[in-house]
Amino acid sequence: MLNFEEELKKFRPSLEIEDAEEIIYNQDIDDMSDVLVKLLKEAKDESDSTKRNK
Amino acid sequence: MATTKGKLKSLSNRYYNEGLEKAGIRDMSGAIESLRQSLKLDKYNINARNLLGLVYYETGEVVPALSEWVISKNLQPEDNAADYYMDSVRNSPSHLENVNQTIKKFNIALNYCHQDSLDLAVIQLKKVLSLNPGFIKAHLLLALLYLKNGNWDRAKIECQKALKLDTGNVMAKRYLKEADSMLLPGESGKLVSDVAASESDDVIRYNSGNEMIIQPVKKSAITRSNSIWGIVLGIVLGVAVACFLILPQRIQNINGSNQEKIAQISEESDAKSAQIVSYEQQVKSLQEEIDKLSTQVTDYEGVDSTSAAMNSLMKAVNIYMEEPSDIEGMAEAMAGLDLDAISGDVSPEFKSLYDYLMTKVGPKLADSYYNTGYDAFKKEDYELAITNLSKAYQYDNTNVNTLYYLGNAYYSSGDIDKAKEIYDAVITNFPDTQSAQAAETKLAEINNSNG
Repeated sequence: MLNFEEELKKFRPSLEIEDAEEIIYNQDIDDMSDVLVKLLKEAKDESDSTKRNK
Repeated sequence: MATTKGKLKSLSNRYYNEGLEKAGIRDMSGAIESLRQSLKLDKYNINARNLLGLVYYETGEVVPALSEWVISKNLQPEDNAADYYMDSVRNSPSHLENVNQTIKKFNIALNYCHQDSLDLAVIQLKKVLSLNPGFIKAHLLLALLYLKNGNWDRAKIECQKALKLDTGNVMAKRYLKEADSMLLPGESGKLVSDVAASESDDVIRYNSGNEMIIQPVKKSAITRSNSIWGIVLGIVLGVAVACFLILPQRIQNINGSNQEKIAQISEESDAKSAQIVSYEQQVKSLQEEIDKLSTQVTDYEGVDSTSAAMNSLMKAVNIYMEEPSDIEGMAEAMAGLDLDAISGDVSPEFKSLYDYLMTKVGPKLADSYYNTGYDAFKKEDYELAITNLSKAYQYDNTNVNTLYYLGNAYYSSGDIDKAKEIYDAVITNFPDTQSAQAAETKLAEINNSNG
């Protein structure tokens, strides 16, 4: 037996044309490459800071 | 890094191909999942992004679709299929506006659901789907509302429509399963609500695949005749109600209005009768006044004629005293004097003077008139003859010839009645005369010709 209230929560308001610009600007389009680059950068920064402390 | 990047691109393409295959069999939910995965691996996979936009557009989600195409265009400004898709949307602004309206209506319907106004939500969603039948979310929300209301058959139909648009939609499959579980066990295809409705209706509705079959229930002749008898009974009852309840009231109303009219007409008639009586009284009084005035006029005329007669007599006496032989002058003076007409109004003195004058000149006057009248009779001028002979007899009533020729003049002029009267006078006043015998002969002729 379905729970109506729970099922209703799964429905979100549809996006209207007026909201398109905001959605486009705020959309997270980072892909796996970007994530890897960030990870490598963070790892490098961490390594540099360790060397300086030594 | 380059190798890693190549692997990511390769993996992204695999997901893109998977998404493409799913879109090909209208598994929109699966396609969206695969394409999003593809873009997570490589945001520059333009084909995957454009296809994702198309899939969004197909499911009725226009804004996410446009968003993907805009990003796609930004990432690859040249030689991009997103240009074509966006141009297609831009070139039909009415369609875009229509889609936007359906989105707004869907959001309103969702608000109604949260406010527990489910009936209004159903109405709103039906409007949305009439404008945009490809809006999958609207189908799903409507199916959920139908499930909530116990309209399992309708929920099933909506789920089936949603699955036709998106074959991999998990939510639609769950709702469909829920609706199917409420179907009557053992009656394949027939729905609980349909069976309930068919008990009282004349049709049986059931679903065969995606089609709803509406089948009329066959009725026997007896059932049909019962319906006819029911109609006849209804008509009879209607007529009876009209006769016993409505008609008496109508008749009473009409009688009432007629009586009012009669009373009004009666009052008008009475008023007119009174007016007529009043007019009759006025006419009577006026008639009396006319009679009175007529009498006065007659009196005045009598005075006038008496006065004229006295003048005529005075003039004649004056001529006699001056020239006793002027018979013509006296005849002229006495011409307008008719003693019979004024006999009641004249004084004894007038009568005495008249008689005196007549003894003196009467026979001469009579001779004069007789001669003139006789000549006129011979000349067949009967009118002049009657006038003069009448005067002659007035001045001398002893001359039988005067009376006889007067009768002849009347006879010849065609006045037979007067002629008979004169002949009678001749026979009565002058019996044993030749004129009397001649008058008798004339009378016999007249009687014979009439007989």
